[in-house]
Parts: sequence; C-alpha cells; structure tokens
Amino acid sequence: MSDTLTHSERIEAGLAKRYRAEKRFRLYGIGAIAVAMAFLAIMLAAIGIRGIGAFQQTEVALTVVFDETHIKDNNWQAIVKNSMYKKFPDVTSRQDKRLLTHLMSSGAGFYLQNLYRADPSLAGETRTVWLTASDDVDMLMKGAIDRASLQSERRVSDKEIVWIDSLIADGALELKFNTHFFTGGDSREPELAGIFGAFMGSIFSLAVCFLLSFPLGVMTAIYLEEFAPKNKWTDVIEVNINNLAAVPSIVFGLLGLAVFLNFFMLPRSAPLVGGMVLALMTLPTIIIASRAALRAVPPSIREAAWGMGASSVQTVLHHVLPLAMPGMLTGTIIGMAQALGESAPLLMIGMVAFIVDIPGSFTDPATALPVQIFLWADSPERAFTERTAAAIIVLLVFLVTMNLIAVVLRKKFERRW
Amino acid sequence: MYVTPARRAQKAVEAVIKGILIASSTVAILTTVGIVASLLFESLRFFGEVPLTDFLFGLEWSPQTAMRADQVGSSGSFGAIPLFAGTLLISAIALIIATPIGLFAAIYLAEYAHVSVRNWVKPILEILAGIPTVVYGFFAALVVAPWLRGGGESIGLDVSSESALAAGLVMGVMIIPLISSLSDDVINAVPQTMRDGSFGLGATKSETIRNVVLPAALPGIMGGLLLAASRAIGETMIVVMAAGLASNLTANPLQAVTTVTVQIVTLLTGDQEFDSAKTLAAFALGLMLFFTTLVLNVVALHIVKKYREQYE
Repeated sequence: MSDTLTHSERIEAGLAKRYRAEKRFRLYGIGAIAVAMAFLAIMLAAIGIRGIGAFQQTEVALTVVFDETHIKDNNWQAIVKNSMYKKFPDVTSRQDKRLLTHLMSSGAGFYLQNLYRADPSLAGETRTVWLTASDDVDMLMKGAIDRASLQSERRVSDKEIVWIDSLIADGALELKFNTHFFTGGDSREPELAGIFGAFMGSIFSLAVCFLLSFPLGVMTAIYLEEFAPKNKWTDVIEVNINNLAAVPSIVFGLLGLAVFLNFFMLPRSAPLVGGMVLALMTLPTIIIASRAALRAVPPSIREAAWGMGASSVQTVLHHVLPLAMPGMLTGTIIGMAQALGESAPLLMIGMVAFIVDIPGSFTDPATALPVQIFLWADSPERAFTERTAAAIIVLLVFLVTMNLIAVVLRKKFERRW
Repeated sequence: MYVTPARRAQKAVEAVIKGILIASSTVAILTTVGIVASLLFESLRFFGEVPLTDFLFGLEWSPQTAMRADQVGSSGSFGAIPLFAGTLLISAIALIIATPIGLFAAIYLAEYAHVSVRNWVKPILEILAGIPTVVYGFFAALVVAPWLRGGGESIGLDVSSESALAAGLVMGVMIIPLISSLSDDVINAVPQTMRDGSFGLGATKSETIRNVVLPAALPGIMGGLLLAASRAIGETMIVVMAAGLASNLTANPLQAVTTVTVQIVTLLTGDQEFDSAKTLAAFALGLMLFFTTLVLNVVALHIVKKYREQYE
C-alpha cells in the first residue's frame, strides 16, 4: 500500500488548496463590501468637492451714489455702472467700459433697489456696499477658470483679470458667505439662483403628502391588522399594497397627469397635485410600516382591554394605537424622506418649469428640491454645476436629518415586551 | 331612563369608525384601478391612431410630428423596439454590476462578518438605497460619464458622452443594497441544521456556502434579482440625466441609447396639447412599463413567499 495514498492522505493533500479557496471566497465578500463603500465615498466626495464652493459668493465693495435721476428712471444698473467707472477712471473706451460693467452681476441693481425701498432716505446719499459679482468673476476666484490658460480659451479676458487683481489688492473683492443661495428663487443667472423657491415647493408638497398619506396609511393598517376578516377581499388588498410598493414612481406621475390634471382639472405645477401624487406613492410604505408596528404590540394588551369590557374599537384606539404610534411615525418619516427625494412623478405633472417667484400657497406654481437639482444639472454654465452640487448637499442634509430623527425615535420608544 | 339598548351611541359611532377604516383601505385598491384605467384608456386612444403591431415591433422611434398636417411623415413613427432594447441594455449592465457585489456582500455579512461589523456595514450600505436617484443621475452625467469618456479616449475607444455604460454602472450601484439586503434575508432564513450537516461531513465554510446554503437560498435570491430588475427597468432620473434622447438600436454599451422612461419624460414635459399621438404614446409606454414591472414583481414576491414557507 506504499504507492497509493490512503484516504486521509488524499484529503490532506487537497487541504491546502481548499483552505486557499476558503480564503479567496472570504476576500471576495470583503472586496464586494469595499467596492460598494468606495462607490458611496467617491460619490459623496465628488459632490462635496464640487458643491462646497457654492456656499461662498464673490462680492465687490463699491462706493455707490444713489443718484436721484436714476432712481426716478428706475435705472438701478446705471448706478452700479457709474460707480464702477468711478472706481476705474482710466477705462475710457466704450468696449472696455462694457467689459468692466460685466464684472458685476445683473442682480446688483436689484440689491440697491431693495436697499432704497427699505430706506428711502438713501436718495442722493453715498454709501459703500458689497454687491454680487458676475459668475465669471466668481468662477475665476474659486479657481474654476484657469488664469494660466490662453485668453481665447477662458471666459475672462486679461484686462478683466487686471481689474479683478486691483480690486483684490484694495480689499474690495472678497468671497463672502452666500446667503442669496438660501433665500433666493431660481434664476437664469447662476450667481442669483437660490434654492428657497424649490425648498418651499418641497415643503408644501410634503405637507400635502403627509396630511393625506399618514391618516390613510394608519387607518388602512388598523383595518387590515385589527378588524379585517381573513377572506379573498383582504387578500386582494394585501397583494395590491405589496405590488403598489414596487410600481415605478414615474407611473404614479402618469396617474397624476391623467386623473388629477386632465380629469379633475387641478392646476398644473402645483404643490397640491405634487403632494397628492407623492402621497399615493408613499402610502404602501406607511401601511407596511404601520402594520409591522401594530403586529409588534403583544396580544396580551388587547386581551387585557377586552377583559375590562372595552369594545374592539376602544381597545385599538385607546391601547394598541398609542403603543404602536412611535413605530408608525418612524415609518412615516422614512416614507416622507423618500417623497422628499423623489422627482420623476413631479416631472409628469409639470413641477419642472422655470419659476422665479417663491411659492406662497399650495396652488402656486412651484418646483421641488430634487427637480431643481435636475433643472440646474442641465444648465451649461460652470457656476450652475457648483450650485447643483450644493443643492444636492442641502437635500442630503435634510434626508440625513429625517432619517436620524427616525432612528432616534425608534431607539427612544423601542420596547421589549 | 335615557340609556336604552336602542339608544346606545357607542355602537353607531363604532360602526361609523369601522366604515371609515374600510373606506381608507380601499384607497390602495383605487390607486391601482386608477393607474390601470388611466393607462389603458389613453393607450387605447393611442392605438386608435397607431396600430399596436407598429408600436410593438417597429424598429424606428421618432415621435416628432411635423408642423403641418399635410407634410410627409406628419404622424411620426412609433416603433418601440429601440426603447425596449435600450432599457434592457442599461438594466442588464446594472444587474451585471450589482449582482456579484450585492450577493458577495450579503454572503459575507450573513456568514462571515462579526455582529459588530454587520451592525456598521449594513446601515452604510442602506445609505446607498436612501440617496435620491436625481443625485445618482448627477453623478452619472457629470462625473462618471466624463471619466469613462476620458478613459476610453486614452485607450483609443470612442465612448459616447451619454453612454449606456455610465447610466448602467451608476444604476448598478443604486441597486446593490436592494440585492444585498434581500439576499441577506434569504441566506439567514436557511436553517442552521443544514450548515451543521455540511460541516459535520468536513466541508469548509465556503464549500458549505457554495454547495448547501446558496442552492437552498437560490429561489429567494432569484426573487430578489427579479425585484432588482424591475427596479432597474422603472428607474427614471438616472437615465433621463445620463442616457441619450435619440433612439439607437445597438448592443454596444459605449454608445448612447434611450429608454422607455426617458421617452415618457421627454414626451410629457413641456407644454403641448394632450390629444396628439406624441403625448398619448407616453401612456402606451407607461402601460408597457407598468405591466412588465407588475409581472416581475408578482413572480418575485410569489417566489420569495414560497421560499419562506418552505423553511418555516
């Protein structure tokens, strides 16, 4: 038997190979997780790097004269121009003057107008104010336009760079915190575009969504979990809810377009309709979470209530529902976070228009934060890319906050029976 | 006496409450009915103008209707095959990327990872599922697509700036958590006794997983993959932002293709009268999308349910 291996020897001979395979298999698992996490990290980093700059905006300190003739003509941009000419008296040719005024944003005049409206005694006065620079200056300051590149290849000419440098040397050109980004509506000019309009649109839509989907979802869950007899009809409802949860969101948009807009003639682009569509979409999530919360309440609670003579409605409303409420709220917050990030159905019902005004009611035309991101991502200007990424950061901050609230709620009210 | 059995308000109030509960539970049903009815109704109007066979088997998609009615080709052409092909191509790329990553992540988390590692890694993977799709779309269009284009150029490949690969790749990342969490559930549902039996025969852990756990979990994993496929087919924002608009019948992932959802969005955004074949076509596409995903979901949920019952 010396030339043939024994059974155990054969096993041992293969052992090293099998252990290597074992190690390899384990590494595949670690590798897969590492790849997924790397994707997440790269994505967040790429967005963070692109977006962080938008929280600052280049501003120029100008000595402006609130000239009464210009105020009468409502020609605020002329006031800005005059103070620029005064700042650079050597600039005389028509062409150069035009270039010079292009350093300032077209929104600078509006800013002066608002100052004057707030304080009419400014007429005839001279003041030094910080005014928004144009997006090209802003991009140059943030390094997105390369000074070393050929003049023909960049949007800022050598002359303009000389002026900008002299302003910087005077301490009259600085990057300041970009409040307008948080308080302004949409604009064609990137330096004037803000997310507040879209944010209000999202708030109105989410309010409608919550007011509809939370009561409906909770009531459906109570019926299915506590009262419904086990029959064909409740089976149909159950299967239906599970399938609705997996229907593509854009289909809900088509439903909203056909039913809410074309049949019920509700206004286009309104947060009211957006909220209704989002409510139908989040309903399955809330129902499923609420049912799980109800199921987690032990039967002994119900039995005790029944034993004391409570009716089944009293049992549920007075005892089961309060105990299940934290779980239901957690599910609802997660559903709302989904609704906040959703954009495809809103495109269908026209919440994708260019809207400058801040919406003030449920029926005003509006967009939503994710739709605003979609719109800006399409704009060719470099400065809009930065704002898109910044809007994404704001959206993600809201989503993280909502999910953290859900986690804290769950931790705080979690009960082991 | 005022309290008599006939006057007991409680009964009446509770009957009303129950009625309200039942009514609210029908909203979910009404939603489905509404979806099916509106899609069918508008689609039937569309098929009154464009024959069903032209739509299902036509190879050319160019819905732009001419300005004047008497112009040549004023009706546009509505052959949806390029859209179906584009949708399948992008979804296939997404699944090819997400399946191995999601599955191996699930295997590691379910079979190897220490509880503390699991408690950290699982929520981080779930973050991927919580990020809005418009963010993925931005990432695909403004980061991944230029990278792929640059990378392709450096090795002499001509990559379109709206390549199917960029959209598919990012979509794949998006569905990793879906596959990993569903697979994790089914792997955990495989009874421990089956593993113990395999260990008892001298198998290593990976051999046990490959030869015992995975075959036992396969139906559930397949169900999860079907759900992921349905999710990929119905995904809108990533493809709207990163895939092309023009129809292109190709299997080359480096070229631009368009998808069903992209066309629905382009046909319905912007102001136009509602009666043209162009807008109605969006509903026909929506109907196709709804039924495809519905069939995938029903089959997937059925498989997963069957599988769970098997081990309970």
